[in-house]
Amino acid sequence: MKILVSAKRVSDPNARLQVAKDGKWIEGDVEYVMNYFCENAIECALQIAESQDGVETVAVGIGDEDTARFIRQGALARGIDRGIYVAAEESEIDSDLIARIYEGVVHRERPDIVLIGKQAVDGDSNQVGQLLAEYLGWPQATFASKVELQGDEAIVTREVDGGLEVIAVSLPCVITADLRLNEPRYASLAGIMKAKKKPLEELEIDDLDLDDADPKVKVVALSTPSGRKAGVLVKDVDELIAKLRGEARVV
Amino acid sequence: MIDLYNPTEEHGALRQMVRDFAEREVGPQAAASDRAEHFNVELFRKLGDLGLLGLTVSEAYGGSGMDAVAAVIVHEELSAQDPGFALAYLAHSMLFANNFYHNANDEQRRRVLPKVCSGQWIAGMGMSEPHAGTDALAMSTSARRDGDDYVLNGAKMWITNGAINDTELGDCFLIYAKTSDNRGRSLSSFLVEKGRPGFRLGQKIKDKLGMRASPTAELVFEDCRIPVTNRLGLEGESTVHMMRNLELERLTLAAMSLGIARRCLEIMNQYATDRHAFGQSIRNFGQIQKYLGDSYAQWRAGRAYVYDTAARLSLESQGNRMDSDGVKLFCATMGKDIADNAIQVLGGYGYVGEYQVERLWRDAKLLEIGGGTLEAHQKNITNDLRRVGVLR
Repeated sequence: MKILVSAKRVSDPNARLQVAKDGKWIEGDVEYVMNYFCENAIECALQIAESQDGVETVAVGIGDEDTARFIRQGALARGIDRGIYVAAEESEIDSDLIARIYEGVVHRERPDIVLIGKQAVDGDSNQVGQLLAEYLGWPQATFASKVELQGDEAIVTREVDGGLEVIAVSLPCVITADLRLNEPRYASLAGIMKAKKKPLEELEIDDLDLDDADPKVKVVALSTPSGRKAGVLVKDVDELIAKLRGEARVV
Repeated sequence: MIDLYNPTEEHGALRQMVRDFAEREVGPQAAASDRAEHFNVELFRKLGDLGLLGLTVSEAYGGSGMDAVAAVIVHEELSAQDPGFALAYLAHSMLFANNFYHNANDEQRRRVLPKVCSGQWIAGMGMSEPHAGTDALAMSTSARRDGDDYVLNGAKMWITNGAINDTELGDCFLIYAKTSDNRGRSLSSFLVEKGRPGFRLGQKIKDKLGMRASPTAELVFEDCRIPVTNRLGLEGESTVHMMRNLELERLTLAAMSLGIARRCLEIMNQYATDRHAFGQSIRNFGQIQKYLGDSYAQWRAGRAYVYDTAARLSLESQGNRMDSDGVKLFCATMGKDIADNAIQVLGGYGYVGEYQVERLWRDAKLLEIGGGTLEAHQKNITNDLRRVGVLR
């Protein structure tokens, strides 16, 4: 069995970002971290590989040069067998193109399962897994909080509005990982040292023979959220109720 | 990414891994462990799973085979969250494991190091005594040869990891003892395991000012018989072992000050923005700016000095005493001063536990005493300077 997992770097959600002068991207000394949902996908793949023989795990990362470091230190150091890095200008790819790049990688690798973080915590698009399943004509199980393999099916518990839904999807399939799927492990120091020697293939988008390699989404403008206005101190409960009734109209 | 502080991609990945672990698992327990004077053994053993406990020990014995820079990174990151926990790590991994690895023979390494690197055994080192601290060579613990044994008598004081709780000894120790009065060749070192007849826990040291998350104890030896196979190296050879390992000890203690200083800076920086007085953020006031500006510059200076020294410190040999004393002399006081500045910036909030800087200030003070007092560093540097004409 072969499992493909996503390894995407995202700008640190705790960092303060600056919009670049052209208003279309971010700039400055941006710290990057591994996308949290990708960490869940990686952990899920590792647990499957540890629970049965003959599972190969492959991490895929798409983006700027530094992405290769995240594949090595975020995925291979945790125990993923090898990596594929697809070079791309991050400001010039959208979710659709990323899904097509994954499609190209899937045609080369022929995995049984593609495990992807349900969304990236910077762009928050939540599209790649779904688009990929459509392009491949594969079943999809999104927002997975539990994954069990039974024969040639994956039994996936999904976090949906109002509760949990359990579905069975036949392999090959696309599964997108939610936060409660598992508790991602830390890379051990031994893992970090071993990662140096694991294979990490480097590809260009052109190597994948995509029918369509043009992004569909154009960033028109980025802006930082406007600061919150200062609150108002009320003198007493009567004034509060009056404001809730009169101005906010919530009671 | 590749810089003085992360000279290789692996150093960077190590820092990220330790920082993630420290923020998620070490930080949240720090205040409670401090308050209860509790050594968190379960958490400590997780350091073994991560490969950190045998950081500088070869892979052949269960270690990770890393260098002095890696040791600095781990101490800096752990100490930023919990200096007490970091001190227990230092005693185990630097004072015992690194020392033992470099001075034991192959049989001894195979017997002991895998258990120490995994965290199955908690380890420490015994040098100071109730009546001998800075004047280490004046120690009185003796080891008298008797057939295939040595008979150990005496006591060791201030031993980090000496006990893992109020009643239970740590698992194994590297103990320095006098085997002769021959000046310069008087010291030998021994592996002493828990359970040897005549080896017992003296007092568990309570009510320390800081570093309360690390256990401290007195170890007592009364006609304790140790087989010759537990002696490290040749008889009388261990003054060299001690001097060499003190370099790494002082370097990593200085690294702990870096972690304390960075954390205190982050806390006072945020507070100076959030706190308003006289209609504005207090960071607009010149008096507050002195605390922030001075603290930042001192931290950066200390950090550059520590990593510069670490890059040149070989674990195989000695020869960096001036700077291993120097970094600790500078950084111990730097860390304490920055913690003190943070308390001052935070005012009343800084004086109570919730904002962490109160604990960090108490922890920082130990670094002016433990592993060499400021005065010992000043003495050593002055002695070594005598032989130096031109400073390059």
